[in-house]
Amino acid sequence: MAEKPNIPVLPWPAVATPTPDEVYQGESDQKKEYALWLESALRQSENFKKPEALDRIRVLDCTSNMVIGHWCSSLFSEKGAEVIMVEPVGGDPLRKLTPFGRKEYMFKDTHGGAVGARFLTEARSKQSITLNLETAEGRELLKKLAVQADVIIENAPPGDWDAKGIGYRQLSQLNPRLVYCWVGQLGQWGPMKDRPGNLDPTAQAACGFVHGTGAPKSFGGTPTRSGWWMCDQVGGTSAALGIMTALVYREKVSGRGQFIEATAANGVIRILDYNWGWYGMDGSIRPRYGNWDLAINIYAVNPCKDGQIMVGGGHDRLWFRIWKTVGKDQPALEQHIIEDPKLKVVTDRLPHYMQVETYTTLSEWFKDNTRYEAETKLQAEEVASGGVSFFDEVCETPHYKYRGHMEVIDDQNYGPVLIGSSAFLGYRTPGRVKWIGRPTGQDNDDVYRRLLGLTKADMDGLKGKGVI
Amino acid sequence: MAMSFEEYCQDVFDPKKVFSKPEPLKGYRFLSMTQYILGPSCANYLAELGAEVIKIELPRRGEPMRHTTPFNEPLLYPLSKWLPDKGTGLGFFGANHNEYFLSVDFHKPEGQEIVKMLAAKSDGVAENYRAGTFDRWGIGYRQLSQINPRIIYQWLGGFGGWGPGRKRASYDILGQAQGGCFSVTGWPVKIPGYEGKFPSGLPSKHTIWIMDYWGGMMGAFQMVAALYWRDNVSGVGDFFEYSQVQGAQRHLSDAIALYGRYGLVSQRWGNWDPLLCVHGIIKCGKSSHPGSQFPAEAEEGFCLVSAYTDADYAKLMKAVGRDDLAKKFPTHDDRVKAENQPAMYEALEAWAKDKTKEQVEEFMHKSGINAQRVMNSKEVSTSEHFLQRGNVHFIDDPTFGDVFSQGPVFMASESPPRHKWAFKPVGADNEYILSKLCGFSKSKIKELESQDVI
Repeated sequence: MAEKPNIPVLPWPAVATPTPDEVYQGESDQKKEYALWLESALRQSENFKKPEALDRIRVLDCTSNMVIGHWCSSLFSEKGAEVIMVEPVGGDPLRKLTPFGRKEYMFKDTHGGAVGARFLTEARSKQSITLNLETAEGRELLKKLAVQADVIIENAPPGDWDAKGIGYRQLSQLNPRLVYCWVGQLGQWGPMKDRPGNLDPTAQAACGFVHGTGAPKSFGGTPTRSGWWMCDQVGGTSAALGIMTALVYREKVSGRGQFIEATAANGVIRILDYNWGWYGMDGSIRPRYGNWDLAINIYAVNPCKDGQIMVGGGHDRLWFRIWKTVGKDQPALEQHIIEDPKLKVVTDRLPHYMQVETYTTLSEWFKDNTRYEAETKLQAEEVASGGVSFFDEVCETPHYKYRGHMEVIDDQNYGPVLIGSSAFLGYRTPGRVKWIGRPTGQDNDDVYRRLLGLTKADMDGLKGKGVI
Repeated sequence: MAMSFEEYCQDVFDPKKVFSKPEPLKGYRFLSMTQYILGPSCANYLAELGAEVIKIELPRRGEPMRHTTPFNEPLLYPLSKWLPDKGTGLGFFGANHNEYFLSVDFHKPEGQEIVKMLAAKSDGVAENYRAGTFDRWGIGYRQLSQINPRIIYQWLGGFGGWGPGRKRASYDILGQAQGGCFSVTGWPVKIPGYEGKFPSGLPSKHTIWIMDYWGGMMGAFQMVAALYWRDNVSGVGDFFEYSQVQGAQRHLSDAIALYGRYGLVSQRWGNWDPLLCVHGIIKCGKSSHPGSQFPAEAEEGFCLVSAYTDADYAKLMKAVGRDDLAKKFPTHDDRVKAENQPAMYEALEAWAKDKTKEQVEEFMHKSGINAQRVMNSKEVSTSEHFLQRGNVHFIDDPTFGDVFSQGPVFMASESPPRHKWAFKPVGADNEYILSKLCGFSKSKIKELESQDVI
């Protein structure tokens, strides 16, 4: 094991979070009234006094190895559903993954185990039980749990659960109200259906995302994957939307559950904007366009003095404000752009050669400005802009800290952990995180006793046989 | 059971059968007072689930996204009945399916009255104007919830309406930039000892407006959850604020945890994976279509190769004739180390030098290794797999004729989502909506139109 480098880590936040007085200092009552109302309606410190939208729903998350299912069930646990992670005996393999295998950067629990950050942060507010579905007894236990569940999510290889007698066709007989969701990369059916062990970025590669991301070849670029398991995140969200809709439909109309399939490729194809319309129209293949945008000018990330900076404003109002900002430092650059007749109309600015002219001119200004300087000058004109931030910068930005975009969960098992908090800010039913994660099988006793009435002796027996 | 599982799935998820099945959100009505992608896509997911979604745009030119299209080439005509020679850009695609298009000028008191009348009869609102603007105009949550306490109102935007940065405007890539996505996507800055191993030191923007489209999906989930709570528990609506920058930070929660506990600042790692090895995208030396007129097709191919378990990895290295590397890195702990990863990918790229991506993929599959070639939008559009599943399909659009488009967001056996039309011109449903929901006569509608209210 590599030595942990001896770098002193200041507790977060390294710089104090601003107070409300500092934030709203000098603003008239009328000006700050709406912001203060929002703050009173949405502050996360009030969350636990409010109801949870989904506290009548029980979800069994039987997925492992990838994030797609965990992500999906996280949205339910944040909204108050009872989510039980059903893990293989020994735990989900994802628990062991840590960047570059650096075990010293895992999170130790109070029982001596350790877990990697990716699993830990998606295990939020879920219980953990173990269950070996390779055994007949394990499958019987699952059936008994499924009878009491509203939702089941699984990501076994296509047809695996059906062959084992615990697929949708069988469980829906036992519990007609069950919403059963399969998640995966490419699908359970079709010529390219999921192969066992397929993980993100399989869908990223298959759906056109990777091909379209990165710089063009002429700029020395290649197709590029997202740095996170992005397709899992999109596919998991679409799965959650599918399940939630099926629950509403069950309550309002049918009284029955249904079979949902959500895949990472399906989700991302759905949101790959104009790729398909464009191909269908004239056979165009969307090219890579680096950090510029094919359809909006100005809307890009370009290099500046100390890194990269984003600025956006395609339409006239913002377009002219951007050049006004540039013109304050370098009037010739502003003049060059606003006097060009070919750049006067919003859509005329979109062809490639116009983008080259725009960004070459803009970069002449960026190169003398740091991210912070350019951002400050552009924001004085209310232009959307901001530096490309690394995580120390993200976590220490006063606005995010003030709003609670990240929060410390002082967890019973893992101690204080800084996480990205629930993005569901709400007036009556906000999302929230209650605990961050659980050691493998920590809730066996609670869940098997509470839902199935198993005794300690029963559980010891099952444990001995490797069923739980 | 007579039917195989795959046949069963083909049957229950058959995209050709969706129109013979019920719509899950039929009977719900939402207003979409939105522009660009984040807000529109949120309402759009609800529309493809069967809700009646009324998109309200400014009269005549419509919302800005209509003037957004790659290189200003492909457009669908007409933009509106007032501007028959202008078209809607393809940037509008994907965020406005199945909706009814109403044009109303919110700035005018008559327009605000129309919004209030519609809100009284609606279940929810998606809105993404600058925070507080609608409140100032008397059509924000505080006013609409007086008219209709059951309304579920979601504001979506960049930085949120409160806190020190509340006045900052935002777009999708600002969410990517400020949320940290760029800092982990793309190519690492110079690392000593890694010279020449990565093509550049540049961060990379996601090719899609991901924080918009995915943020809208988060918003749609939240609205459907609120419907559930309203109809089954409380009887009252709710108010939500979704910040796309916060969404970016939520999805990179593991990087935040590593910073918080250990002070680690996550970095980019190109097409390889920090958590798994071998699990990366390699360059295949030969182009599949060397003579193509499209640069995107003529260039060399790429292929994901995934063999991170000990057994798969040994199989992979044997197959490519590098048993020495199998012996050198026998455990995953050996392989995944940053200092060891390049050796394996370099060996694979050297082996793939004289192969196309199809050849690499086929070879891997025959050897029992997971692999997925990197497909471009033409390959996806013509793929038997995605066509059969309806992930891409032709819509017989009532306004524009045959339109090739993405399919719905997920699949469902009983009450599936569907795409009925791609979108319509600005104000196309003015008569229908205003007569049905506001009881306006033809002459009244004409009058409002002449006053530029609609």
